[in-house]
Amino acid sequence: MSILDEIEAQIPALRRYAHALMRDAEAGDDLVQDCLERAVAHHRARRPDGSLKAWLFSILINRHRDLMRRAPRPGHLVAVDDLAVEPSRPPGQEDHMALRETGAAIARLPDDQRRALLLVVLEGASFAEAATALDIPMGTLMSRLARAREALRGMTGRERPNRSTPDRHPAGRPDR
Amino acid sequence: MTKPQTPLSDEELIGYFHDALPPEARALVEARLAGDAEAQARLADWAAQDAAIGALYDGPAHAPVPERLTGVLRRPAPRRGRAPLRLAAALALLAVGGAGGWLGHARLAPANGAVDLAEAALTAHGTYVVEVIHPIEVPATQREHLDTWMSKRMGTQMRPPDLAASGFALMGGRILPSGDGPAGLYMYENADGKRITLYISPQRDEADSAFEYAGHGPTQSLYWKDGGLGYAVVGDMPRDRLRDLAIEAYDQLL
Repeated sequence: MSILDEIEAQIPALRRYAHALMRDAEAGDDLVQDCLERAVAHHRARRPDGSLKAWLFSILINRHRDLMRRAPRPGHLVAVDDLAVEPSRPPGQEDHMALRETGAAIARLPDDQRRALLLVVLEGASFAEAATALDIPMGTLMSRLARAREALRGMTGRERPNRSTPDRHPAGRPDR
Repeated sequence: MTKPQTPLSDEELIGYFHDALPPEARALVEARLAGDAEAQARLADWAAQDAAIGALYDGPAHAPVPERLTGVLRRPAPRRGRAPLRLAAALALLAVGGAGGWLGHARLAPANGAVDLAEAALTAHGTYVVEVIHPIEVPATQREHLDTWMSKRMGTQMRPPDLAASGFALMGGRILPSGDGPAGLYMYENADGKRITLYISPQRDEADSAFEYAGHGPTQSLYWKDGGLGYAVVGDMPRDRLRDLAIEAYDQLL
């Protein structure tokens, strides 16, 4: 299997991730195309260690960072009705509402949290793979995931204010 | 049931949820979970989030891949001048709008040349690094033409430094307007798709200067003045890494 065949085999996963990141099929495919052109141009210079998949995702992530850097904040807000990504399978009416709510909440996450969450949940990347592709330490990845998930719970009204979280001890507990 | 103990932290729960804990730690979390209804509720919600994410976004992985994507892999080399990428084009346009304001401001306030240099370099970087189709005007493949053309427009010998030792390959260059005459911008890219730029502009004030840093969030610039020209290396990377690149460039520009 040639390197180009191996890259081609990753296109479906790259598309899934890019469509979810951009929340738009066309813009997602633009991002994938950009990533593929870079991969074709540079695959000979790639470090031979490490997985091809992680390398392709790191290219796509770097291009997404470049694109988002200049995007105005309001560009990240998408009206729920405008969500271009349709659910993959037709859910029931109630499920549908919950899905749209979750989709809108994901759209409001900061980019770095969204990239991390989708990489792990949607692409099934291990923590080590995701940390490599995102070029961040594992601890940063874990706290990013935790923040993303709690933010989603907050935005979709899943937090239970009447069941207050047990006290988080502030930094520097005296008894240890 | 045992007394409530230290609540499970988000990191412990995340590690448990994604099955990233060693067996021993996993067993410990499991034991504490039994008495932590709040943590159990969170885990249930996280599972619901994952189901929603799958239902919302899994589709494209099972859809036919459009020809324009597979085509990229079948061409011998990436071809320029295809249909513009809407998003990148819009963003670049936006960045140019911002740049106009900045450069206009810089022209009105020529007092501090060094700050102007850093601002112009950061603006140029932000404008062109997002470009997909035309990040540069003359590609590195036309190296001889690039050098002749940029030298002629800048009125001095222009040769882009070779940063291959740091893994960055020259993509090409372009000419930009600046307050004191045409400026040059070289763009480099590494194997991971990270881009850096080297901005060079004529300086009215001929005094040389040491390396200085300026930056906007993650984008950092390291700039210096030498022999009537101002230089700035710009990229999204830690300062020590940028400094190594700047030194590599500096040694070759002497």
